[in-house]
Amino acid sequence: MELFVAQALNGLIIGLLYALIAIGLSLIFSVLKIVNFAHGECYMMGAFVSYYFSTLFGINPMLSVFLSMLVVFLLGVVIQYLFLRPLYTGAVERKDEYAILITFGLGVFLQNVAMSVFGPWTKKSPDFISGITRIGFMTVDNNRLAVSGVALLIMVALLVIIGKTFVGKALRAVSQDRDASAIVGINPHRMNILAFGIGVALAGGAGGLIGPIFLISPVMGILPGIKSFVIIVLGGMGSIKGAIIGSLLLGEIESLGSVFFLDPTRGLAYKNAFGVLLLAIVLLLKPTGLFGEKHVRME
Amino acid sequence: MRRYLLTVIVAVMVGVAIPLLLRAYWLHVAIMALFYALLASSWTMLAGFAGQFSFATMALAGIGSYTSALLAIKFHLPMWLGIISGALMAALVGLLIAVLVLRMSGPYLALFTIAFSELVRITLNAEYQFTRGDMGLTVPHLYATISKVPYYFTILILLACSLLIMGLLLRSRYGLFFRAIREHEEAASAMGVNIVRYKIMAFVISSFFAGLAGGFFAHYVGTLTPNSIMEIPRMGLVIAMSVIGGIESLAGAVAGAILVEFLQEYLRELEMWRFVIFGLALVLILRFSQNGLLYPIYQRLAAKRVEALSESAA
Repeated sequence: MELFVAQALNGLIIGLLYALIAIGLSLIFSVLKIVNFAHGECYMMGAFVSYYFSTLFGINPMLSVFLSMLVVFLLGVVIQYLFLRPLYTGAVERKDEYAILITFGLGVFLQNVAMSVFGPWTKKSPDFISGITRIGFMTVDNNRLAVSGVALLIMVALLVIIGKTFVGKALRAVSQDRDASAIVGINPHRMNILAFGIGVALAGGAGGLIGPIFLISPVMGILPGIKSFVIIVLGGMGSIKGAIIGSLLLGEIESLGSVFFLDPTRGLAYKNAFGVLLLAIVLLLKPTGLFGEKHVRME
Repeated sequence: MRRYLLTVIVAVMVGVAIPLLLRAYWLHVAIMALFYALLASSWTMLAGFAGQFSFATMALAGIGSYTSALLAIKFHLPMWLGIISGALMAALVGLLIAVLVLRMSGPYLALFTIAFSELVRITLNAEYQFTRGDMGLTVPHLYATISKVPYYFTILILLACSLLIMGLLLRSRYGLFFRAIREHEEAASAMGVNIVRYKIMAFVISSFFAGLAGGFFAHYVGTLTPNSIMEIPRMGLVIAMSVIGGIESLAGAVAGAILVEFLQEYLRELEMWRFVIFGLALVLILRFSQNGLLYPIYQRLAAKRVEALSESAA
């Protein structure tokens, strides 16, 4: 029972981080109508930028997470402007193919840049808050508590921005109908830039937050990238609430599944396979996701 | 037709002359270049012609290589038979994938195949009592000599046969069906193209050649680890080769693979930076020249030739 509760709590914390990454991916999908195959690499960039802010410049680790979000936001703006903008100006034929290949290529590029600049070795970011806290019969690493608190904070802030502000309304309008929102005076190009920037910044923030809990490395983004695809497929492409539900679900499935697997000695080895298997099954049974609407094809 | 014959003859002569000119190290590079050429051309057939953007090529090559290696180790099957069984196994798995992804398009297909690749890689790593996982599976070599020349000719012949088969297929009406499916599935279907049959066909044939390349790789290199062959970045390298060469041409894929593999060795002192260069080249070429780098050059040369011919005729 204790093991179950401890694992469930672990799953919840990991689920919150997945949620940050997946909301970003979902936001990008709903506004730009593309799947960002470089999303995991943006998460990785966030982790390294935050690591270097706090170790090289001695900035407070928590503050450097927010600074890294800003850096990744700017990176996203540049990527969107240089490589994704042609999708919306009519400069590319076969947009689906272009969007897949260009984001995948950017992912490979970022990963190789990280290999060259940061080196292939794993690193560990400084603690947010050291020590442990006792809750009932369990002990929890303070870092994990801080991480889940901040992740929750960022998530709520984002939901408020999307739901309550004018910019959020404009983003939702563009995601529903590009042309109609252009007619009422919303600049869809600007919303593309904003959505892509915020989307990758969320992934970058998750990367910065994971630094003190797990090790960071240039290849760290591949699996979370795939998992965030799993999540948004589970939750329905483009739905933010679905992304949150899907993330918490996947976090729990992974951390409970690896302990209560049929063959516990191998559970850990297959931990990362659960999510992928889930993705394969969901795509097979309901190619548009559990809660998703019809796939929006790019025109 | 005469020009084609001439090109083929020149290509064969260059291919045969290469082992005489290169030292063992560069011969190894040449062998790897031809191995990648086979993978890149099989991906080009599936993605460039049939429009099915699958990321599972390396995983299928991995399935081919592990099938062949395990058959040789556990059942002492002759290696040639093993390589063919590996290719058939890959084709079978390709058939399975094709049937499963029939309803998916674009990003969903890409997601599914990435997920599939990771599943294969994780499983092969986890079942280490069969595959020895990351410790590496030692595989018998195809030939008893340490010379690389026989391997070179083996992969050269494999590549030539595969290119011939794929080339003939793509030049036939089936190639037209593939392209029709890529351009517009519904329209193709309305014109009477059986899209289910030809999508499956493209997947199976492409997977067969990926498995063939994988089987050769296993018995050439002699050690297999799931990560070395099936990593997503390696898939990225194959795609980069195909895109640099020109995504709609088998010859382009081969040229791209040879160019990238040789550059990669030539620029070895740049260490990881050369992959940064390839990554950058991939996105820039996609952005600014969607027909690739080599194909437009070839087209321009061909256009000049036609001009010169028509001038001399006039």
